[in-house]
Amino acid sequence: MGKEDVSAKKRRKINTTSNESSKQVPVDVYKRVVEFEETEAQLRPAEKDAAFFKKICQDIRQLFAEIAELKAKDTNEAREKINAKRIEASLNLVALKKLNRLEKVRTRAGRDALHKEKQRVDSTHLLLQNLLYEADHLNKEVTKCLQFKSKDEEIELVDVEDFYKEAPAEISRPELTKTDEHQLQLARLEWELRQRRELSSACNELIASKERVAAAIAAARSRLDALLPHLRDVLKSTKPLQECLALRLDDKRDEARAASLLPSPLFLLFANASAYSDALGAKTVTVGISGDEDEARRLEQLNNVDSDLVVSNDSDSDPENNDDDQNEKKKRHHRTAKISKEEKADAKKKEVLKKHPLSIQVSVKVPDGTALNLIFSYLLHLKIIVVKFTVSLPKPITGISAADVLNGHCILNELYPGDTGYDSPHPATTYLLNAAGITEDFQHFISELGKPYVWAQRMCGLDFMATVTEDQKFNKNIQLCPSLSVSTVENFILTLKKRLMSRVVLMKELQDLESGKILSVKGDSLSPVRLSGSLTQWQSVGWPEYSQSPSTAFLISEGLVNPNDMLYRAIITRQSAKLVALVALGSDYPKKAPMFSLTLHWNGTHHAGINDDIRDIERVINTDWASEENKQYTLSVQITKLLTCLDILLETTGSSEFPPDKVMFCPVRGRNRVKPYKFLKQGSGLFVQY
Amino acid sequence: MLNKILYNTVLSQTLSPCGKYLVAGNIYSQIAIFDLDRILNPVVELLTSDYNKPKHIHTLESGHQICSLASSEKFLIVGTVNEIYGWDWKNAASSKLSKPSWVIRIPSQSPLEQTDVNSLWLSEDEARLYAGCGDNNVYVFNMEDGKLVSTFKGHTDYIHSVSGKNQQLITASEDGTVKLWDSRTGSSHNKLEPHTNSKVSRPDVGKWMGSAAIGDDWIVCGGGPRVALWHLRSLDAVTVFDIPDHGIHVSFFHDDCVIAGGAAKYLYQLTYSGEVKVELPVSATTVYSVLLSTNPKVLTIAGSSPEIDLCTTFNYRDQVLHFR
Repeated sequence: MGKEDVSAKKRRKINTTSNESSKQVPVDVYKRVVEFEETEAQLRPAEKDAAFFKKICQDIRQLFAEIAELKAKDTNEAREKINAKRIEASLNLVALKKLNRLEKVRTRAGRDALHKEKQRVDSTHLLLQNLLYEADHLNKEVTKCLQFKSKDEEIELVDVEDFYKEAPAEISRPELTKTDEHQLQLARLEWELRQRRELSSACNELIASKERVAAAIAAARSRLDALLPHLRDVLKSTKPLQECLALRLDDKRDEARAASLLPSPLFLLFANASAYSDALGAKTVTVGISGDEDEARRLEQLNNVDSDLVVSNDSDSDPENNDDDQNEKKKRHHRTAKISKEEKADAKKKEVLKKHPLSIQVSVKVPDGTALNLIFSYLLHLKIIVVKFTVSLPKPITGISAADVLNGHCILNELYPGDTGYDSPHPATTYLLNAAGITEDFQHFISELGKPYVWAQRMCGLDFMATVTEDQKFNKNIQLCPSLSVSTVENFILTLKKRLMSRVVLMKELQDLESGKILSVKGDSLSPVRLSGSLTQWQSVGWPEYSQSPSTAFLISEGLVNPNDMLYRAIITRQSAKLVALVALGSDYPKKAPMFSLTLHWNGTHHAGINDDIRDIERVINTDWASEENKQYTLSVQITKLLTCLDILLETTGSSEFPPDKVMFCPVRGRNRVKPYKFLKQGSGLFVQY
Repeated sequence: MLNKILYNTVLSQTLSPCGKYLVAGNIYSQIAIFDLDRILNPVVELLTSDYNKPKHIHTLESGHQICSLASSEKFLIVGTVNEIYGWDWKNAASSKLSKPSWVIRIPSQSPLEQTDVNSLWLSEDEARLYAGCGDNNVYVFNMEDGKLVSTFKGHTDYIHSVSGKNQQLITASEDGTVKLWDSRTGSSHNKLEPHTNSKVSRPDVGKWMGSAAIGDDWIVCGGGPRVALWHLRSLDAVTVFDIPDHGIHVSFFHDDCVIAGGAAKYLYQLTYSGEVKVELPVSATTVYSVLLSTNPKVLTIAGSSPEIDLCTTFNYRDQVLHFR
C-alpha cells in the first residue's frame, strides 16, 4: 500500500496540475479527488478504458522487451535509451494505476447499483407473496362458505305440491316463490314451523289431559285398595252364614286357585269337566284337584324364570353327560363310579317321568252307585297325560269272572277303537326317553305311571295326530286345542257312562251265568220254548287256552278276537252231549256282540272246522242278531239261542236219547241238510230253516 | 255283529258256455261271477290284490238261497226256492243284473210250502231241464217255452241230486234211495237202497243219499252211506270206497275215475278198483259243489266256506278264490 499511496500522491500531483484552473478553493483535496475520480469513472466508458488498459499493457510489454534488448546491447546509448524507456514505462504504469482506480470505483458503483436493484426486487417479491397468500385465504373462505350446511336441509318438508295446496297464500306467496327457489325454501320452512308449532301445542294439550286422567285413575285405585279390607271383613262375616246354608262358595274359590296352578292341558280338562259336571249335576260327574299346591307353586315360579331354557338345556347336555360317563367307565372300572352312574340314571329317569304335582280326579257315577275314579296326571317332560283309575262298588261282587269285568284293566280298554293305552300317543316320547338314556319302552313304566290313553290326551286338548302329519319336530310345544277338549270331554263322559252301565249289567249277567242261571229276556222270540240243556259251567279263561282250541282258529285268523278281549268258557250239557262254547267279549260289549266258538262232544268231537252243523249254529249265534231292543242282554240272548240250537241239533239226529220235543216243519232241508234253527211264532211256535 | 259272509256256504257252481266265467251261488242268495280268464291267465302288470275275488256279486231280491245252477248255451239257469230263473249270459256277466229273461215257478201244493230247487240238470241236447226239488219230485221243463213237460214222482223225501245219461235219469234223495228213471216215460224202473246194504251203510251219518251219477255201465252214489260203485245192470255194490268222510255230497265220473267229496278234508279221485288216486285238500268244511271242465281245464271246489279252491291240473290246489 505504501507504494500505492506514493503513486496516488504522484497522480494527485498530476491531477492538481491539470485541474488547477477549475479548483480554486482546495478545501479537502483528497475528498475532491475522490469526488472527481468518481464522476470521471462514471463519465468514462468502461470499454474504452479496457481497450486503453490493454494498449498500455501492450506498450509496457513492448518497452520491457526493448529494454531487455537494449540491455543486451549494453551500450551507453542504449543506457540512455533504457532510461528514456524506463520513464516511459513508469508513466504507463501510472496510467495503469489510474485506470485501476477508476475500475475499482466503477466496480463499486456497479455493485452498489446491483445491490440497490436487488433490494427493490426483493421487496416487490415480498409484496407478491403477501398478495398470493391473501388470495388463497380468501379462496378458502369462499369454499367454506359454499360448503356451509344449513339446518333447514335436515328438516323434512312437505312436498312442494302439497305445500302449494295446503299453505295459505300469505305464506306460500306463489307469485314470488314460483320463480325464486330460495324464497320457496323459506316459505316452506315457514309453513313447516307454523305447522309444528300447532302440533306441539296439541301435544301439550293431550299430555295435560292424560295426566288428568292418570290422576283420576290413581285416585280411583286408591279408593278400591281401601275397599279390599272391607270386603275381606264382609267375606269373613259371611262364613257362618255359608256354613248354615251349606254353600260351597269357599271350596269353589280354593279350587279355582288350585286350578290356576294346573299345567295348561290339565287346566283345560278341569275347566271342561267341571263345567260339564255343573251342567249335569254332581251326581254323575265330580271333578277335583289333588296334590301338593305349594310344590306346584314352586314349579310355576321356576318355570317363569326359565321357561324354555330348562328343556333345551336338558336335552342338549344329556348326550355329553352320557359321553362323560362312558369315558369315566373306560378309564376306571371302579365300583363307586358304577354306582354313581346308576344313581344318576335313576335320578334322570325320575326326572323324565316326573309328574306335575297336581292331578285331576274325575269320578263318573252310574245310577246304581258304581263309580269310576279317574286320576289324570301330566308328565312334565314327556308332555303326555296318564290315567290311573279305581272302581268303587256299592256292594261286593260274587263270582270271579264277574268281578274281573269291573275291576280288571279292561274296563277302560278300547273305549274308542284301537285305543289300548299301551303306548304313548306322543311321537316324541321314544326320543325323549332315549335322550335321557332310558332304554326301556314307555310301556315299561305304565304300571307305575298310568296309561296314556288317546282319549285322555284329547280330553286335555292334546292332539298328537296333527303334529305327526307335520314335520316331526321333537320338543316342539304342542298347541292345545280347546274345542277338541270340549267335544272329547262330553263324548268321553257319555261313552264312559255307557261303558260303565253296560259293564254293571254285564257283571250282573255274568254273576247269574256263573251260578248257572240264564237271564230270561222278556219279549224274546225264543222264550216260550222249553230248553232241555243246561249251563253247567261259566268261567273266564286265558288267551293261551282260548287260542289253542281248534274251534277258535278261524276267528283268530280272521282277526275277530284279540288277547284284549274278555274270554270265557261256557259248558252246556244235555245228557251225554257236552257243548263247550268259548266266548269272546270285546271291550266295547254290548256294541259288538260276543263271539262264540263251539265244540260239541257227542259221538266224537265236532267243531265248525269239521262239522257243518256246528258251523250253522255258530252262524246263527254270531251273525243272526235281529233284536235290537235287548242289546244290553245280548249275552243272555245268545246263550238262550245257543241252548235252543243245541236242542234242535240233538233232536234232529234222531237219536233215542233226545226225543223230539219241538215242533219242526222239516228236520233237515236242502243239499246242505240244514237244521231248523229259526223260530217262527206260529201257534205254539215252529222251527224252520229259513 | 260278525259279517255273515264269513259263514258263507256255496251250494252250486256253473261255468259259462264260453268258459270265461265261473258262477257260484250261496245261501245268502248271492251269485258271484268270477272272471276265470283273468284268474287263469293273469297279466302280471294288471294284477290287483282282488284278482281272486268275484268280478261281480249279484244279490237276488227274493232272499232265498241259491240251491242250484246250470248253464245252457244261451242262459244262466238259477234254481232258488219255488222258482227257476234264466238270465241271458250277456246280462249275467254285466255289472248290474237286470230282470231275468224268464222265470219258471215250481208247481206247489200249498202256498205256504217252500220248494227248494236242489238240483238242476240239463239234458245233452238242451231241450229238457230236470229239476230235483224239495217236494220230493223231479220236474221236467221244456226249454223252449218253459212249460212243465212231466213230473217224476216216487221219492218220499226231498231230492238231493239229479243227473242223467243216455235217456236214463238218476236221482238221489234224502229218503235213502237212488232211483233210475226212463227220461222218456217218466217212470222209475230201478232203485238202490244203499242204507240197507251193510257194506256201505253208516247209521251214525244217516241214510240220506247226497249224490248219484250214472255212467255207461256203472253208478256211483253216496251220502250217509259210503260212496260206492254199483253195477248198472246187477245193481250190486262192486267197489266200496273207504274214505274218511262224514257224508258225501258230490260224486261223479271223470276219465275212468270217480270223484267224490263231502264232509271231509279232501276231495278224492278214486279208481274203479277202490284206490285213492288223488287227495285234494279243500278249504270248505263240507264240499257241496265240484265243477270240472276240460275246456278250460279247471276244477273248482266249493262248499261251506267263503273260499273256493281252484285246480288247473286236477292234482293239487293251486289257487283259492274268495267269495266275500
